Amino acid sequence: MKKFLIYFSAFVILSLYFILTVFILPSEFLITEQLVPEPTFQTILSDSEITLGDSFRLDIVSVNNGDYADIHIVSVAFPDLIQLDDVVKIATYDFTLSPSYIYVDEEIGSKYSGGVETIRAQYPSIEAMSRPLKPGVPTHFDLVVTPQELGIFNIYVKSIGIPHTSSTSHYPYSGILDHQNEHVLVYSVTVNP
Amino acid sequence: MTILTPKFSENFLKTRSKLIFLIGSIFTSLGILLVTVGGSWDITNHLLSKPETFFSPPHALMYSGVAVSLTGVVLSFVGWKNLQNFKTSYFLPFKIKLIGIALLTGAGPLDFVWHSYFGLDGLLSPPHFTLITGMFLCSVGGMIGISRYLKFTNSHSIVKYLLVLAVIPVWLSASGIISSLSLPFSSTDFFEFNPEPTIAFIIASLAYPFLISFSSTLIFRLSNYQFGMLSILGGLFLLIYSSTAIVPNFAMFDTVQFYSLNLIPFVISDIFLKMNRSRISRFFVGGLLGSVFYMVYYPYVMYTYNEIFLGKLVSPSLIYFVYFELIQTVLIYTLIPAIILGILGVIISAKFSKKILMT
Repeated sequence: MKKFLIYFSAFVILSLYFILTVFILPSEFLITEQLVPEPTFQTILSDSEITLGDSFRLDIVSVNNGDYADIHIVSVAFPDLIQLDDVVKIATYDFTLSPSYIYVDEEIGSKYSGGVETIRAQYPSIEAMSRPLKPGVPTHFDLVVTPQELGIFNIYVKSIGIPHTSSTSHYPYSGILDHQNEHVLVYSVTVNP
Repeated sequence: MTILTPKFSENFLKTRSKLIFLIGSIFTSLGILLVTVGGSWDITNHLLSKPETFFSPPHALMYSGVAVSLTGVVLSFVGWKNLQNFKTSYFLPFKIKLIGIALLTGAGPLDFVWHSYFGLDGLLSPPHFTLITGMFLCSVGGMIGISRYLKFTNSHSIVKYLLVLAVIPVWLSASGIISSLSLPFSSTDFFEFNPEPTIAFIIASLAYPFLISFSSTLIFRLSNYQFGMLSILGGLFLLIYSSTAIVPNFAMFDTVQFYSLNLIPFVISDIFLKMNRSRISRFFVGGLLGSVFYMVYYPYVMYTYNEIFLGKLVSPSLIYFVYFELIQTVLIYTLIPAIILGILGVIISAKFSKKILMT
């Protein structure tokens, strides 16, 4: 009788264990709120018009206004260039990871999928990354650009927070789409002769 | 006095040689335990992107462990050389430890050079695999040494708890081998060492259940069926994993309660084997322990199955979401093979324990 009671208790406890670990607790954890990082940035463009051979400066201050971000990214792309060469130099950089240079035809993520959906880069860009980034901590990414051709020189800037759990986990929220099918703010400088 | 000292030393070494060998084996196993704890902590640091240099705290713990193991192998050599009897019986564990420590010490400089040339490295890299193989061999040597000492000296039950220290490094280092062959943590700017997802799926689904069952039933046999050993071993494993893989990630801290429930299958297995040591009872325990592998190897095992089932980007705060999203699917696919491999673990551990104890 004692043995039977022990076996019975053991089977009840084991059943409870499987019910808790496979069904109840997973459901409980899955309904907890996910972190929602909300990246944003402000920029200062030193000039809107320059003479060929001169440089202009783009200063970006980025901050996460939402929850703790596992990864905070600021991407600056150059749709008029094929390669960065001597055109773009980094002046200030205080993100925790080294900047990542993306070259034309490189496979990169798209549609905020974090690499699940990919495309080939059509133009070069630089990604600044902090892993992680607490809310309210400003990060700086300043560039000095020296265009080598006349005309309009465009720069695309965007910021993405990971986990990308909401439509506010990227900035800007709407507007022009880049080659990654992600929204960007466009900054233009006219290069005169 | 100057004449007496060498004689005294010689006599001391001869009379205490078995004890010295035991201490050597304990140091070897303890060292590997430190290396495995440091290794698990290092993986978590990599995932959380904490600054990585060669001189990081987990690396310091790992290489301290290597030093302790090296001391253990030297002591084992001193003990073995002065043995009056059982010299042949203690040669096998000594030989295994010697090969293991050669790989371990060789992996240190290799790892330093690798970091210097290639920066951030993946889980599976030539120096890491050398290190893990060396760890595994050292821990096996230490385990055989401790087990044989306890058998030959007919040790009391309290001393038998040393077997926990003997088996846990084997379990952890073997887990390291399986993890490095199945987790997608080995892609770097320089090398693509990530395992093919289907092969990784098969390795994880078969090897983890086997290992849990094998380690748990092995300690039960080595301790001559002592009640409590299996629970302590399982509890220690869970404690090490939770403190190195869950607690450091603040986003997962709440899931410690889920993870701690995994002590239940170990305690129930212990009780079952205490009450009934029949083949059916042992197979039931093996199957049970095999079936809970996805829970016991929380959270990182999820990465292997994510590659096959979801392909999501899993950042540190999303680990437990994806883990729990997958749990039922993984169990549907792996439950039966896991139970079978758990039973196989029982059969193999019986044969292995006979070889260790020379019965």
